[in-house]
Amino acid sequence: MVLTVLTAALLVGGALFALIASIGLLRLPDVFTRMHAASKAGTVGSGLLLLAAGLHAGDLAIFFRALAGFLFFILTAPISAHLLAKTAHQVGYRLHRSTIIDELRRDRPLE
Amino acid sequence: MTAQALLDGAIWLALALLGLSFFATAYRVITGPTLADRVVGLDMLVGIAIGFIAVIAVKTGFTLYIDVAIALGLVGFLATVAFARFILSRKTADEQGALEPNQGAERGVQPATTGKGE
Amino acid sequence: MTAFTMNVLFAVIWVAVSGSATFLNFLFGFLVSAFAIGLIREQAQGVSYLGRIGRILSLTVLFFKELALSAWKVAVLVTRPKLDVKPGIFAFPLTVDRDFEITLLANLITLTPGTLSVDVSEDRTLLYVHAIDCSDVEGTKRDIAEGFERKIMEAFR
Repeated sequence: MVLTVLTAALLVGGALFALIASIGLLRLPDVFTRMHAASKAGTVGSGLLLLAAGLHAGDLAIFFRALAGFLFFILTAPISAHLLAKTAHQVGYRLHRSTIIDELRRDRPLE
Repeated sequence: MTAQALLDGAIWLALALLGLSFFATAYRVITGPTLADRVVGLDMLVGIAIGFIAVIAVKTGFTLYIDVAIALGLVGFLATVAFARFILSRKTADEQGALEPNQGAERGVQPATTGKGE
Repeated sequence: MTAFTMNVLFAVIWVAVSGSATFLNFLFGFLVSAFAIGLIREQAQGVSYLGRIGRILSLTVLFFKELALSAWKVAVLVTRPKLDVKPGIFAFPLTVDRDFEITLLANLITLTPGTLSVDVSEDRTLLYVHAIDCSDVEGTKRDIAEGFERKIMEAFR
């Protein structure tokens, strides 16, 4: 009973975070700010949904497998976000004009 | 019984929300404007697909779906890394839509603000 | 770190010997070996391995708190009708200098509110961080230095 309610809450919460991440992807101005939305809200969204699936099974071993998957996403999401951001900046994608400071370009100008 | 009804409602709501976010992200992937935006969108699409799989795992009761979701997460991570390497190997951001229409003239090649602090 | 490696090794051996390769069994083996190593350590060197595990746990708790806060902040930012962002990239001076610690700090920074680590300078003294709200750069730097960086120093030194 409690488990079912918790699963339902996790399902709706996770789906909401996924929706928020995609709204952020639509509304934010440049690729770097979009990465913020995708790497944070997106990870939390799919992670919560995975936890809901693990919780619904009602088996501790399966729950821990889902938890391991969640931790795996938490480990990989910042790595791919970091790699993309570094690459995009290095190659020279412009930051949006509302950007107020860029110390990386100051220290490492484009050739 | 009422808890089961709540769960069913939550599953349908979650599927609807995920569907909405799927379309929003797909719009971003299609419109771009740059390759990097599309890669971020694709990364997000993988995340949403994982969410779908997890919801379907709850709906059907097959716990094997969790392993599928984890495997998809691994593949998505590798795909994003590969795309990042690809962008790096192209060595250029010079493509159509890389700049917003009113952005290029203002900022030029070098960004206007490179100073310390404000 | 060698103690941690030893701990993982012990846990793997435990799993192999006990013949049931479940995550729970691994966790149990890990805990038992942590306790065993803690016993030896305290007699041999006086460095409290268990205390260090406690600090690592506290870092983990802080991390999950920040992750939840971060997702919430993105939610609030994105759903506001008028999008008001002042993004920017600032250079954060690193105190930690080992590769492992820099990696951990960069990952933690990426998953915390409004910040995304972009690059590390060649000499490993600066971490370039993209922030979605750059109106108070000094405050953000102070938060990172006194939050995660201090906790990492406590846990791994």
